[in-house]
Parts: sequence; C-alpha cells; structure tokens
Amino acid sequence: MARDKEKRSCGQVVAEWRAFLWDPRTRQFLGRTGSSWGLILLFYLVFYGFLAGLFALTMWVMLQSVDPHVPKYQDRLLTPGLMIRPCAEGLDVTFNVTQSHTWEQHVRALHQFLEPYNDSVQAARNAACPAGRYNEQPDDAVPNYPKRACRFERSRLGPCAGLGPHGDYGYGSGRPCVLVKVNRVINFFPGKNKSINIVCAAKHEEDAALLGPLNLFPPNGTIDLMYFPYYGKRVHVNYTQPVVAVQFSNATANVDHHVECRLNAAGLRTDDERDKFAGRVAFRLRINRE
Amino acid sequence: VKELEIKYGTSATKGLSEAEAAARLQRDGPNALRPPRGTPGLVRFGRQLAGGLQCLMWVAAAICLIAYGVQRGQGDRGSSDNLYLAVALIAVVVVTGCFGYYQEFKSTNIIASFRNLVPQQATVVRAGQTLQVNAAELVLGDLVEIKGGDRVPADIRVLAAQGCKVDNSSLTGESEPQTRSPECTHESHLETRNIAFFSTMCLEGTATGLVIGTGERTVIGRIASLASGVGNEKTPIAVEIEHFVDIIAGLAVFFGATFFLVAMLIGYPLLRAAVFFMAIVVAYVPEGLLATVTVCLSLTAKRLARRNCVVKNLEAVETLGSTSVICSDKTGTLTQNRMAVAHLWLDGQVLAADTTEDQSGEAFEQRSASWPLLSQVITLCNRAQFQPGQEGVPVAQRDVIGDASESALLKFAEVTSGPVAAARGRFPKVAELPFNSSNKFQVSVHEAGPQQLLVLKGAPERVLERCRGYLREGEEHPLDPEWRRSLEGACLELGGRGERVLGFCARWLPPGSVAAGTPPEALAEVATGLCFAGLVSLIDPPRATVPQAVRKCRTAGIRVIMVTGDHPVTAKAIAAAVGIISEGSETPEDVATRLHLPLEQVDPRQARARVVTGSELAALAPGALEELLRTHPEMVFARTSPQQKLLIVESCQRLGAIVAVTGDGVNDSPALKKADIGVAMGIAGSDAAKQAADMILLDDNFASIVTGVEQGRLIFDNLKKSIAYTLTKNIPELAPYLVYITASVPLPLGCITILFIELCTDIFPSVSLAYERAESDIMHLRPRDPRRDRLVNEPLAAYSYFQIGVIQSLAGFTDYFVAMAQEGWWPLLVLGLRPRWEDAHEQELQDSYGQQWTFAQRRYQQYTCYTVFFISIEVCQIADVLIRKTRRLSLLQQGLFRYTWVCIGCFLCYCPGMPNVFNFMFQWWLVPMPFGLLILVYDEIRKLGVRRHPGKTHLGTPWIPGTHLGTPGPHLGTPGGTWNSPGTHLGTPGPHLGTPGTHLGTPGPLPPPLDSIPSPHPPQIKAQVTRPGVCRCLLLVERPKNPKRSPRNHQKVTKKRKTLNT
Repeated sequence: MARDKEKRSCGQVVAEWRAFLWDPRTRQFLGRTGSSWGLILLFYLVFYGFLAGLFALTMWVMLQSVDPHVPKYQDRLLTPGLMIRPCAEGLDVTFNVTQSHTWEQHVRALHQFLEPYNDSVQAARNAACPAGRYNEQPDDAVPNYPKRACRFERSRLGPCAGLGPHGDYGYGSGRPCVLVKVNRVINFFPGKNKSINIVCAAKHEEDAALLGPLNLFPPNGTIDLMYFPYYGKRVHVNYTQPVVAVQFSNATANVDHHVECRLNAAGLRTDDERDKFAGRVAFRLRINRE
Repeated sequence: VKELEIKYGTSATKGLSEAEAAARLQRDGPNALRPPRGTPGLVRFGRQLAGGLQCLMWVAAAICLIAYGVQRGQGDRGSSDNLYLAVALIAVVVVTGCFGYYQEFKSTNIIASFRNLVPQQATVVRAGQTLQVNAAELVLGDLVEIKGGDRVPADIRVLAAQGCKVDNSSLTGESEPQTRSPECTHESHLETRNIAFFSTMCLEGTATGLVIGTGERTVIGRIASLASGVGNEKTPIAVEIEHFVDIIAGLAVFFGATFFLVAMLIGYPLLRAAVFFMAIVVAYVPEGLLATVTVCLSLTAKRLARRNCVVKNLEAVETLGSTSVICSDKTGTLTQNRMAVAHLWLDGQVLAADTTEDQSGEAFEQRSASWPLLSQVITLCNRAQFQPGQEGVPVAQRDVIGDASESALLKFAEVTSGPVAAARGRFPKVAELPFNSSNKFQVSVHEAGPQQLLVLKGAPERVLERCRGYLREGEEHPLDPEWRRSLEGACLELGGRGERVLGFCARWLPPGSVAAGTPPEALAEVATGLCFAGLVSLIDPPRATVPQAVRKCRTAGIRVIMVTGDHPVTAKAIAAAVGIISEGSETPEDVATRLHLPLEQVDPRQARARVVTGSELAALAPGALEELLRTHPEMVFARTSPQQKLLIVESCQRLGAIVAVTGDGVNDSPALKKADIGVAMGIAGSDAAKQAADMILLDDNFASIVTGVEQGRLIFDNLKKSIAYTLTKNIPELAPYLVYITASVPLPLGCITILFIELCTDIFPSVSLAYERAESDIMHLRPRDPRRDRLVNEPLAAYSYFQIGVIQSLAGFTDYFVAMAQEGWWPLLVLGLRPRWEDAHEQELQDSYGQQWTFAQRRYQQYTCYTVFFISIEVCQIADVLIRKTRRLSLLQQGLFRYTWVCIGCFLCYCPGMPNVFNFMFQWWLVPMPFGLLILVYDEIRKLGVRRHPGKTHLGTPWIPGTHLGTPGPHLGTPGGTWNSPGTHLGTPGPHLGTPGTHLGTPGPLPPPLDSIPSPHPPQIKAQVTRPGVCRCLLLVERPKNPKRSPRNHQKVTKKRKTLNT
C-alpha cells in the first residue's frame, strides 16, 4: 500500500541494511543471534543427515532388487540399434579414391574395429558353435556361470576383411566396404529361430541403378543365430558381435548415395518413426574421383 | 423570481423557447452524469498479459523460440521440445490472461446491469407549452414540473409548490421527507427548502421550478465527480500477491542467472545456458498460482453471492477479511430506512412497540383501558392508505400511499388493531385538515354512530395547547401540572432516543357539529378542548440482525464506526441500539451529565464513546481527527458531508487500518470509493453508491458483511495453504537441473513435465485447498496486520523449500536412480554420463550390462525418467496436500479429503495419447512412498508440537503502541498461531520440548489477572478480553523474549528455532 511506503533517504536504507547484516546491539547477524543460527544449523545438519540416511537406505533396498547380470527391464530395447563402421561424423562416408588421406582414417578405424575379429584371436578365445541355432547356455545349478562366445572370424568378410597387404577395404579402388553391426541386447533372440540377415539398398528405389550392385559378406548378409543370445558383459566376456560387410562394387562416382540397411528378422519392426536406428541404419556414401 | 428570470434568461411562466433550449443543450451538454471512463478492453487484456510473472514467462518463451530457431538453423531437426515449450508457455500466459480478463469482464457486467437503462422523462414548459422530454435534454433555465413519484430531473429552484415533499436520503442521509416550497429557509443550498436536487425522489405533491443546474454541475454531479476523483487503493490481497510475485520472480531470476553463469563457466554454449535459465524460470514461476487465486476468490464470491453479496471486484473478498475498521452509514444500512412506531406513551407509561422488519418481535401490552381510544385516533387521523391488491402481503411489506410517518402509523394500526380500512368504513370521514408545517397538526372528523368523533395528531406541544383533559385508564381527567411534567418527561426521553414524537387526542362531538364539506381551515376552530390520548414515537428502527453483527465484528477485532448525515441525537440513539456504542460506555456529554459538570470541564479521554458532528469535524485541526479516533474506540459521526466521510476514511487509513465503508446514498460514494472495500446496499443503494462500491449487499443486510469478513479471512488462510503447497514443489523441480548441471546426469525432469505438474495435476489440489473449512474460529481472531502477517513469509518458505521440498527431491532422485538402474544404468555410471547420453550421433552407448543403446532409446528412457520423477513429485504432493489441509490440527482430527485430482493424474498417465512422456509402472509409485509417509509423519510431529506449545508463535510479536486504531495496547497476534504467523510453527516444537520447567510454552504460569496488565488504556483492553486466546497473547507480551530452551537432539523432533521476524 502506497501509504505504507514513506520515502526514506538512501542513507537510511543503507543503515537499515547494515543493521540487518550485523546489529551490534543485539549481536544479531542477518536478524538472528549466533546461537539462533547455530541451532538452525544444527537442526538442518541433523535433518539433512537423517534424510541422507533415508535416501541411502531406500536406494540400497531398491538396488538389491537389481540383478547385476541381467537388467530388470528391457522394454526400451525391443529392437536393437544398427550401426555402421567406419562410423564417420554424421554417418557420411565420403572420400576421394585418388587421395589416400581422405580414406586412410576409415581404413584405420576398420582395422581397429576388426582387431578382435582376427581369426587367431577368435580361435584362441571362442568356441566353434553349431551354426543355425541359438547358442543358449542355461545356468545349470550354478548361477551366472561364465558363458562361452561363438567365433566370428574376420576372414569370413571376404574382400572386406581388410586382410593382406592391400587391406584397404576397397577404398583405394573405389569399391569401399562398410560394416554393419547390430547393437548388443541381453537375451535377445531375433528371428524366431529362422535365419536373419542384413539387407541393404538405396534409400530411394530410383537411385538403385546409380548405386550399383552390393556385395554382402557373409553371403546374403546372413547373421548366424549362434551369436544370440548375449548374456551381458560380466558372464559373456569374449562375446563377439556379428557384423555384415557391404561392398559397393560399382557405385557411381561423384554422386551422393543414400543407403539404408535393415535387419531382416521375423517379428522385428524396423519402421519406427521415432528411432531411425532401431533395426536399421541409413548413411550417405560419396565416392569422389577426379 | 424576477432575478432568477434574468439570471437564467427565461420566463417563469412560459419557459425557454425551443431554439434557446437547443442552443443551451449545445453549450452545456446533456443533463446526465458522465459515467466514469472505463479502460478499453484491449488495454485491460494487455494488462492481464503483462504482469510480473507473465513477463518472466514471455522471456522464457522467447528464449525457447530463439533456441528452437537456432537449432533449426543448425539443422537439428530432432528436437522440437523447445518449440512445444514456447507454445505451452505462451498458451499458459494467454489462457491465464483470458481467465483474468473474463473475470474482470464479468464484474464489469455486473456493474453495468445495475445501471438504470430506462431513459427518464421530464415534464417541461417551453415557449408556454407543456411537453415531455427526455431528462437528458433539460437545460439551464428550463421550467419543469414535478409531481409525486417523479425523480427530480435536475437541480431545481422551486417557484411554486403544493405539498411537495422530496426524499433527500440518498443525498444527505435523512430518511424523513423534506418539504419543498418557494421560500428560502437557509443560506446553505443543501439545507434550504426551495431547491430540489437532481435524482432525489419527489414523494408527493407537485412543484414547478427552474432548472439551475444540470448534469455534472448538479450537487449530485459534483459528489459523483468527487468520487471519480478518488483513486482506487490497491487491495491487500493484490499487495500480498505482488509481494509474493516479487519474491518468486527475484528467486527465479537469481537462480536462473546463477545457473546460467555456472553453465557458461563449465563450458556450455550460450544457447544451452539460456535454455537452463529458461528451465529454472519455468520451474520457479508458479504458473498455476494466478489461476488458483482467481478460482479461490471467485469461489468465495460465488459462495457470498448465495448469501446475497455480489462482489464486483474479486480481490475485495479478501480485503473484507483483513478489514479492521468498518465505517457504516446509518440510514438503510444499520436501519431499515423506513419509519416505524417505536414507543407509545399512554397512562403515563412508555411501552415499546415491535420494530422488527417482519413483526416477529413481541407486541406490547394492549390491556390499558386508554388503548382503544388511542388506537382509534391512530387509525382515523391518518391519510395514508395501502395500495390496493395487497391482501396477501405481510403488513410490513405492503406499499403505502402517503408519507413515511403516516405509513408507519398505518401499518402499526393495521397490525395492532386489525384492518384499518374496515375501521375507516365504520367511521366515515366528514372533514379533515391535512398536516402542514405551520399548524404542525392534522385533524379529521368522523361520523361515529350517533356522535361525531374529532381526532387530532401533531407535535406534542401543539396538541397539548388544544387539550383540556387527558385520558387515564379510559377515564378523562382534567389536565394537571403533574401530568404535564410526566408528559414533558416522556417527550424528552423519547426525543432523546432520536425518535419523532407525535401526540394524539380526540373529542366526541354532538352529531352534526361539523357538516360535510366544511372547509379545512374551520376545523382548527372546532378542535379545542380535546382529550389527550397518548404519545406515539416513530423511528427508523435498526435492523434486527445488526446488533448481533456488530457484536460479531467486535469479537473479530473489527471496529465499527457510524458515519451518517443524520442528526447526532438519532445517530447516537441508533448507535446505542445496535451496539456501536456499547452498553455502559459514555460520551463526554454523558459524563458531564453524570458528574453534573459543564461539558467543557470533562476530559474527553474519560469517555469511551464520542459523537462528533460535521461542524465539529470541520473545526478540528489537522491530525486531531486521528487523535480522536485513537482515544475513543466507539465513534459516531453525525451530520457529515460527503467530503468529511472521505476524510474520516482517510484518517482511519492513515492509522494503518484497512477500512470498509458501507453506505447506500450518493453522499457515501466518495467514501465508498476511497475505502479499501466499499460495500453498497443493493435495494436502497443509489446507482452512484453501487458504482463506487466493490461489493453490493443485495438484501441490504449488514450481517452479510460479517459473513464476508469470515469468508475473506478464510480465503487468506486457504490461499496461504495453497501457496505453501505450490511453493513446495519448486525445489523438486529445481533440483533435477541442479544435479543435471553439477553431476552431469541425464536430465531427470523435463520442462514440459514441470509445466504439466504446474498446470495440470497441481491445479486441482491447490484449488481444492480453497474449499477447506476454517480450522479454528477465525472470527475470534484479530484482523491480520497487513504489514506483518504476510501471505508468504520466511518460515513458510523455509519450511516448504528446505524441509518438505528437500524430502520431495530426494524421493524423486531415489525413484530416478532406481528406474535408471533397473533399465541398465547404474547410479555410478549415470553420474557424469550426460555428454555421451545427449550426443545425438552416439547410437551404441553401452550401459552397465554391456547393452548398446541408440539415441532414441536413450531419449525414451529419459522420458521415462521424467515420468518417474513426475510420479515421485506427485506422490509427495499427495502427502503435501494432506499436510497442508490443516495447519494445526492433526489429519486424523480433520477427516476426509478429495481424491478427484489424483484420479485425473492417473488418467493422464494411462492416457493412450502420451506413451512417451507418461508411461507407467506401479513400482514407480511405490519407491517414493516412504518419502511421502515421511512428509506426513514429519508434519504430524510438527503439528503436535504446535498444538502442545501454541503460544510460542507470538514470542516475537512486538508491541507497537498506538498503531492499532482504538486498541492501543499490545498488538494481539493470532492466538493459537496458524500460518498467519506460523513463524514458529515451522520449526518450533523441537527446541521447546525441553524439560517442563525451563520453558514457558506449556500452560505454565497462569495469565495474570487482566486488569493488572499495564496498558495505557485499560478500558479498551477490557473490550477484548472476552475472547479466548487473547489472555494467552497478553501473557506472551509479558514473557521474556528468549526463554531458555533445551533442545533434544532426537531425530525428528528437533527442529530449528525461528523467531518471528517476518
């Protein structure tokens, strides 16, 4: 109310504030005495201490319900994501055939990625599994018994294995390889016991001719069921993710190609509008030639 | 007359010529009051959109839009969140704006509906011809004719009149009709008889007069313009809400800026930092508050409307609750605005008549043998008659043709002695002499079987002149000095009560003494040697409900002051009758009479009551009025002018009071406007009064004001609860951002979700708090002190923010971490995860189990977290709304609650359209439960402490002498303390739970005898002591400020001590 606000001079205001900050008469700091502040502090200390305890207790109790090996819920991961290698910025694989520095990084990335897939490594660590069926390893009596992983030899990727002296995954010759991999999801059984594979194509059908034929390795882009299920990083230590290599053997140069790869498995939806990477991956390929 | 003709250039017989009239109309404008200029609708709507909080939200929306634009510019098409948010924010502002505008618009409509839309006609003589014209076309110098039943069309100098009487009550407050005649009787134009005023009613007779003022230049017009010149004060609730908005806006900007800076320092891009700022603002601004307040107010307004109070200005409802002084007009507000027989005097005894509106009171004893004659005189010597066709209507409500006194007598006769019409038929009238001001009596002669009966009534002294004897026990006795003395005594006594006394007498005449058609003047000769039958006194009686209401006001700490234009004697009598001057209080005049001292020797301060007239008021030095108001708790102002009423209101306001003014007349309108809340009477009220008022009592019942006060106080309490509730969730809304920035976790709560909480789920409970019943008897508390009892004070904020809010945040985070862990993201991984989590190019982020997540999957999970956090807040808010229902009583004591909004919340969670944001799992509701229970238990303990140690609240309440009108002495806080001054409640119980000996909170020492409390004005304290709780407060003043405390460090019982410094 206007009538309550009598005009005060600036000095008075400052003096009032100073008195509020520290009033020597009543020995009050910010309107309270030291003991008052002390009590408040003590109260909050105790109060917050108690709350922290309760928080910790509740968290502890709730985390007891979390299994360290298998997540309680997986409803966000119904369709695993797909990803490509080389994983260039913005999924844009662009390079110039004649200028090696434009694709060397891709080659390096692929080399690095495929390191664990070396046949020797696979032979040493992993088991040869029977193809065509899930590699289920139920816990018999011993819970969370370490699981064995199935071999995925690099050599199965054919020209895209990057082996040999000219292991440039075709980048030097304008026939580049792109690896497609499926995200790991625990206890994921794709395809309902039928074989699954990766399918790649130009995003727009009319561009298919420009893109030219695609070679898939392993043949047909098949992903063997033996690589499923995944049992989690604790028990499934050497798990090797299956990959599919796509070689663009005769793609028109100097043109943007929009390629889309899908995981073709029975009962798997790959047309989620919200998630562009659920069961599919789209990337741009451009091969420049002088 | 000649002078007038010259002055106004007109003719007293022919009037103006048409051409001249038209020219003058052109010059002076129409004869109508200009309605106060309204603000154009668009501006008002704009104002709704540009409040403090709204501006903040505009800024937030702008930031969102900019952020969205920049994102679009950068080609990021993934997230339209910012766009949605901006749209939502703008929608919120606009919707609340529309809401407010609609409310305002509605109340404007109410005002408009009260306006009289029918154009008034006036009979005017122009160029010698009598015509009917629209009253608005009258000009200066017009010759107009008025007759009984007309509204006077302009200020008129009466040139000729036949028994013309006007009702000036709306102008001066006098309820008696005033005669109008050509003679000038007084210098003041307000008092003189030869001027009739614009908009007053002509009751009877006819008059011809010259228009001497039109439109704004009439007396009424001047008062109306005085009223429109008075600025509107801000309502206390508006002040409170402004205060609250200031705090909130300050906090929002402060935290927003801090986060902004911190974010910038950590290395966020400017845009993201701005979005943080915006999020903080959104989290802090209680978007739903304005809606809640409006709903609270309009709910109460509706509740009041059911009790016949129409609230024009919504905020006025609460103002009534903080009212500490009511300045009430007398006529029509405290009284019935009709004359009624109050007392009779016969056989030397004064008998009280029934003056209640519905004749429900006790009838007086009619056994006296003198009564039949008196009643016969009353019945016969009366020219008034009921309008035909009202047989079914109760007598008191029937319409009567005739003046106020005569109708009062007529109704009295009808009620006490049966049908008047029949009696008159039995005694046909032979001749009569109507009342006139020179005779001051009225005579009529009636055939009564073989004889004739002459009956006479008039002013007692005139009647007595014509009497030879008097009636006692039905026998006629000759006059004797003793009887004369007793008559004079009765006249004085009744006159002293402000009543108008009439004497009645009669005489039996031989048949044929008066022939039919005898000229009236001759009757005066015949009417001598009469027998005095008795006295009847008339008064405008107080309404039956008023004394009770005044008493209630007093218990509620509200002072009632009478301000009237009527005579001091009448005013004092009515004031005493309704309790404004309480029994046993004396005015200085009374003291003088009692002590047999001359008035000058009496110290006015000895007197509790005081009657001040307008002329005394005019002679007062500036500041003396405040002094008077401070010294005398019971004040009556009589014979006051509109300006003086205004002055009185201003003086009260200067003393720090929140003033309510009630009134009905035009003369009240400036004061109504100036008051913090003006209350006009709906039936008796003039348009000007209704225009100026904030509230209109449709049934003219003063008692409705008390209801209003109660509702207003309840509103304040409930708003306080509602705001405490609303504030609490700011912390759990803010904390996610705090942790998001500092601990780099994925965002636990999104802006849209915050808006959803603010605008959807939380609206219902906070509005439901508006339905809460009063916890304690709020009408036994003092009005709140607007300077001390704020809507939002430090303890309330501290309790909401630092205690309940923190518990809620912890609940949210527990639920959040658990939900994340169950999906595969363990707490330790979550900390610091944010940069990778929010990287839109990262499609294979590993969780704690080695699974890989795409960005959209993570986003989905993040939305789940929003939901989880949202649910936690909801669960805690359920507990919160339960604890806010009461401030002192345990929930178990208070009872049931409403679930509706919980259902709505659940429905929204299940609603199929929003699977992303509101997806649901039972367990998420389960995790925050312990925290919700903790809130309940914690608050129950607090309430227990408050109940056990109620007085603590007032420890800090300072004693400010003299700041309170009329009740100097300790400022009594709200006993039993509630949130009004919860200061201490908040935290207090703990420290006081020490050993019984050391603290003073428990019943402890008995209050000292009240008389022994030192006070500069003991008698005034006395008036308050009847109320429970006050003793406690008085006691508190005596208490040392810092009693020793022995805090026990028991976990939940120890609470912080808070002295009241808000």
